[in-house]
Amino acid sequence: MATYGLLRRASLLSCSNSISPSPTASRRSLAAPFRRYSVSSRAQLISSGSRNYRSALFPLRCSASDSVKRPKMASEERQEPCNRIARIASAIRVIPNFPKPGIMFQDITTLLLDTRAFRDTIDLFVERYRDKEISVVAGVEARGFIFGPPIALAIGAKFVPMRKPNKLPGEVISEEYSLEYGTDTIEMHVGAVQAGERALVIDDLIATGGTLCAAINLLERVGVHVVECACVIELPELKGRERLGDKPLFVLVNAA
Amino acid sequence: MSACREEDPRIHGIKTKIRVVPNFPKPGIMFQDITTLLLDPKAFKDTIDLFVERYKGKNISVVAGVEARGFIFGPPIALAIGAKFVPLRKPRKLPGQVISEEYILEYGRDCLEMHVGAVERGERALVVDDLIATGGTLCAAMNLLECVGAEVVECACLIELPELKGRGRLKGKPLYVLVEYQ
Repeated sequence: MATYGLLRRASLLSCSNSISPSPTASRRSLAAPFRRYSVSSRAQLISSGSRNYRSALFPLRCSASDSVKRPKMASEERQEPCNRIARIASAIRVIPNFPKPGIMFQDITTLLLDTRAFRDTIDLFVERYRDKEISVVAGVEARGFIFGPPIALAIGAKFVPMRKPNKLPGEVISEEYSLEYGTDTIEMHVGAVQAGERALVIDDLIATGGTLCAAINLLERVGVHVVECACVIELPELKGRERLGDKPLFVLVNAA
Repeated sequence: MSACREEDPRIHGIKTKIRVVPNFPKPGIMFQDITTLLLDPKAFKDTIDLFVERYKGKNISVVAGVEARGFIFGPPIALAIGAKFVPLRKPRKLPGQVISEEYILEYGRDCLEMHVGAVERGERALVVDDLIATGGTLCAAMNLLECVGAEVVECACLIELPELKGRGRLKGKPLYVLVEYQ
């Protein structure tokens, strides 16, 4: 069997399970629990119970508070979205030094193994967008393909895949964007969207914002109004939000 | 089975939404483009519903989807039947420890990977992709799941190209498709 990546050894700390909303609940940040699991052997990775598989390690903030209609909700209900977000946050696994040294990779595949957390992820987006007359959900290859379609189906919008070059079979429009070193390109089918449509752009994570910017440009070039970008995770230090300019960004989790 | 499927009135609507693009990715290939199906919310929903109706209540705990178009259809099915979604990916995309399965292409080889620990022994799994051609990719997917002791209950695709005989390459496992392209 081929193996890739390191087995991570995390020190065992006490698990903190409680969630205390900050006194100023209207702020965007709320403390979320973080957990560390000891991973001492390969066998333990494959042990029964998916919890042992998720070696999650991170401090996080709950940043989706604006999805909650605060004044009308009882305090119990007000906590509920944050409970969902806390569970989502704790289901995301961080892999150090992938794909290269120094990068702390945010692995959403472990979220997809937690059926309730995955459903909650989709629900949080759907609750935000369902009555906003959005007719297009554009998802960026490949992890945007996982989150975009369930949202599109639930809100009655079409799903438009945005792909790396030479994957889409029909006539395409392309947008080049800068990487740290060099450039990359994403493409969209001609005719997938019409001028005047209202769109969301979905990806699992926003880092520098380059990919999302390219996606926005593709849609706007054909006259679509991009209402918002939506991601599960933001890496705020990389300032992707600023790169989106006046386009709003909605995320569930900040990874510090 | 085939007769029951063709009677479902939703199938015709789905079939008409799939666009055939000639000579992609190379001359002679009639490419089955499902992106046009995704532009029709009703047809896309019907597609998912047909799979969900078949698999709900069958104690399936894993839906494995093959990168990348399997990522479009697998998660909605998984969510609706209460199963986890496991992405099966090209090499070096998954960040954690993986197991790999190599398989043969027309010219050369390719490789599919799955995260260690994603699936547990004894789990019942579906494999989902948009299309089955020769069956090589689905076979590799099945091998990955069986390698960790999961039971592959069925492979599910929107489209089958029967001339390429992929159905017979699935190690005796059943295949369910919505549409055949002759």
